[in-house]
Amino acid sequence: MEPPNLYPVKLYVYDLSKGLARRLSPIMLGKQLEGIWHTSIVVHKDEFFFGSGGISSCPPGGTLLGPPDSVVDVGSTEVTEEIFLEYLSSLGESLFRGEAYNLFEHNCNTFSNEVAQFLTGRKIPSYITDLPSEVLSTPFGQALRPLLDSIQIQPPGGSSVGRPNGQS
Amino acid sequence: MWHAISRTSRMSQSGCPSGLLADKNISSSATRVIVKTAGNQKDFMVADDISVRQFKEMLLAHFQCQMDQLVLVFMGCLLKDHDTLSQRGIMDGHTIYLVIKSKQGSRSLAHSFRDLPTNDPCHRDRNTKGNSSRVHQPTGMNQAPVELAHFVGSDAPKVHTQNLEVSHPECKAQMLENPSIQRLLSNMEFMWQFISEHLDTQQLMQQNPEVSRLLLDNSEILLQTLELARNLAMIQEIMQIQQPSQNLEYPLNPQPYLGLETMPGGNNALGQNYADINDQMLNSMQDPFGGNPFTALLAGQVLEQVQSSPPPPPPSQEQQDQLTQHPATRVIYNSSGGFSSNTSANDTLNKVNHTSKANTAMISTKGQSHICATRQPAWIPALPSIELTQQLQEEYKDATVSLSSSRQTLKGDLQLSDEQSSSQITGGMMQLLMNNPYLAAQIMLFTSMPQLSEQWRQQLPTFLQQTQISDLLSA
Repeated sequence: MEPPNLYPVKLYVYDLSKGLARRLSPIMLGKQLEGIWHTSIVVHKDEFFFGSGGISSCPPGGTLLGPPDSVVDVGSTEVTEEIFLEYLSSLGESLFRGEAYNLFEHNCNTFSNEVAQFLTGRKIPSYITDLPSEVLSTPFGQALRPLLDSIQIQPPGGSSVGRPNGQS
Repeated sequence: MWHAISRTSRMSQSGCPSGLLADKNISSSATRVIVKTAGNQKDFMVADDISVRQFKEMLLAHFQCQMDQLVLVFMGCLLKDHDTLSQRGIMDGHTIYLVIKSKQGSRSLAHSFRDLPTNDPCHRDRNTKGNSSRVHQPTGMNQAPVELAHFVGSDAPKVHTQNLEVSHPECKAQMLENPSIQRLLSNMEFMWQFISEHLDTQQLMQQNPEVSRLLLDNSEILLQTLELARNLAMIQEIMQIQQPSQNLEYPLNPQPYLGLETMPGGNNALGQNYADINDQMLNSMQDPFGGNPFTALLAGQVLEQVQSSPPPPPPSQEQQDQLTQHPATRVIYNSSGGFSSNTSANDTLNKVNHTSKANTAMISTKGQSHICATRQPAWIPALPSIELTQQLQEEYKDATVSLSSSRQTLKGDLQLSDEQSSSQITGGMMQLLMNNPYLAAQIMLFTSMPQLSEQWRQQLPTFLQQTQISDLLSA
C-alpha cells in the first residue's frame, strides 16, 4: 500500500483590531482581550474563509487583511483537493450559506473550526472560538449586542466557492 | 450479502452472517459512531469490527446515493474499503465525516470574482426594494466602484512592501489631515451622544471625572490633539525638550494631583512619568486611528491649558526654530482653508452633493487607515504594560508641564481649529450625524475596525441615496 499523500493544513489568524483590542479592551470591556480574531483555513495552496458572502477562497494571504498575524499548524490531511471542494460545496449550501452568517454565533471562526475538524480531526484553539462568549459576557458587550449583531464581516479580495447557481 | 442493522446491539454477538470477518478473532461490540455530513449528522450503531465497505453499505440506504459517491474521512484520513473501523481507531462516540460526491464527477467550481458591493446581501436587498431609491441609484453606485478600484489598487500591491513603509509617518499624517476625520472627532455633541448611550462608558467617566469634563467642556480637544499627533517631529521635539522644562511648574491648574511636583521626591516621580508619556504618546502615534482616545483627549486638554497659562521661559533658540519651522502648521491651514472656500461656493441647493463629497472623503480615508493598520512600526518603543486608566492622570500632569514650552507654536493652531469648527460644512455634517445617531455610533466603531469600515463602505451608496431622498423631500 503506497503511503497516502499528506497535505498540510494551516490556520491563518488575523487580529481585526490590529492591536486595538489588546489595548482598549480593559477600558471598554473591563477584561483583557488579546485580539478580535478572524481566521481562515489554508490547504491545497488556497485560503478558505467564511463571511457574509458565504465561503470564499483566495491565494494564501490574498485578502485585504494582508499577511496573517499568526499561523497555526493544524495538522495534515489525506483529503484531496477534489474531495475538499466537494465538501465545501455542500457546506456552502447548508451550514455556511451567506445568510447563515452571524457575527457571534456563526462566523469565520465557526467555519475554520468545522473545516479543521473535517480535515484533521482537530479543533482550532479555544481562545479563538471562545472570543464571542467572552465579549458577550461583559455588560458592554451586551449593550452593544444589537449593534454588533447587524455587523457582517467579509474580507474583500476573495472569490466565492460553490456551484455557479449556489449563491442566487 | 451481509446486511446492515443500524441502531441495534444484535451484532454484539461475534461474527457476521456473511462470514467476511469470520476469521477475525475480535470480540465485537456495539459502537456508536456519528456520521457528519455538511448539513447534518446522524448516529449509527455498528460493530467495531465492521469494515469500511460494510459501513458504507449501511450509509447507502440513508443517503440515497451510490457506493462510489461516498467518501469517509476520520481524523484527516480517508477510510479505505478494506479497513475496519477499529483498525482506524474509531471508537464509541467518534465522528466520521461523510462527503457525498456529486454524480457527474468533479463539480465545476465557481471561482468568479464578484463585485464587493453586491457581495453584501443587505445591500442588495435594499437596492432592489423601494422604487424611489432606484431612481438615484446611479449616483450612489458610481462611487463604489471607483472607491473599490482605488482601494484594491492601492492596497493589494503593497502587501509585501508594507514593512518597508513602516517608518514613513506620511501615511498617518495623511489620514489625520483629512478634514472629515477631524470634523467627526471635533463634534463633541455627537461624541457625547454616543457615549451617553452606553451606561458603562458613563460609569467609566464618573470614575474619571477629568475625562468626562474634557468631553463635555472642550469641543476642540480632539481636533487639536489630531493636529499635534499628526506632527511627528513636533512630538519628538516636545519629548526632547521636556527634560529642560521639567522644573517648570504651573500651579494654575486646579487638579489636585498636580501638587505632586512640590512634594519631596515628587520630581523623581515625575521623571518616571516623563518616560511613561514618551512611550504613551509615541504609542498613540503608532495607532493609525489616533491611538487611545483618552490619551488623545488628555494631550489635547493640555494644549488649551497651555494657552491660558503664563508664558514659560523660552526654550533654547535652536529648539524653537525647529518647532516653528515645521510645515505642519501650514498644512493644517491649507486643509481647513480649502474646505471653507468649498463651503462658500456651494449654496444650500447643492447640499446633496456636498454631503456626498464629505462621505466619500471619509470613506477613502478609512481605506487609507486600513492600509496604515497593517503596518507595525518597528521604531516604536514597546508600551509598558500599565493599566491605561491609571496612566491617564499621570499623563495629564506630565503633558501639562512638558508641552507648555511649545505654547507659542501651538497657539496658532488653536485659532485655525476655531475657524475650522465653525465652518458651515462642519455644521452640515454634524447635523446629519445628529439626525442619525445610530449611524454616528456605527461610524465610531468603524474607525476602529478595518473590516467594519469596509462593510460600511459597501453600504455607502444606499446611504447616499437615502440622504438624497430626505433632502429632496425637505426641499
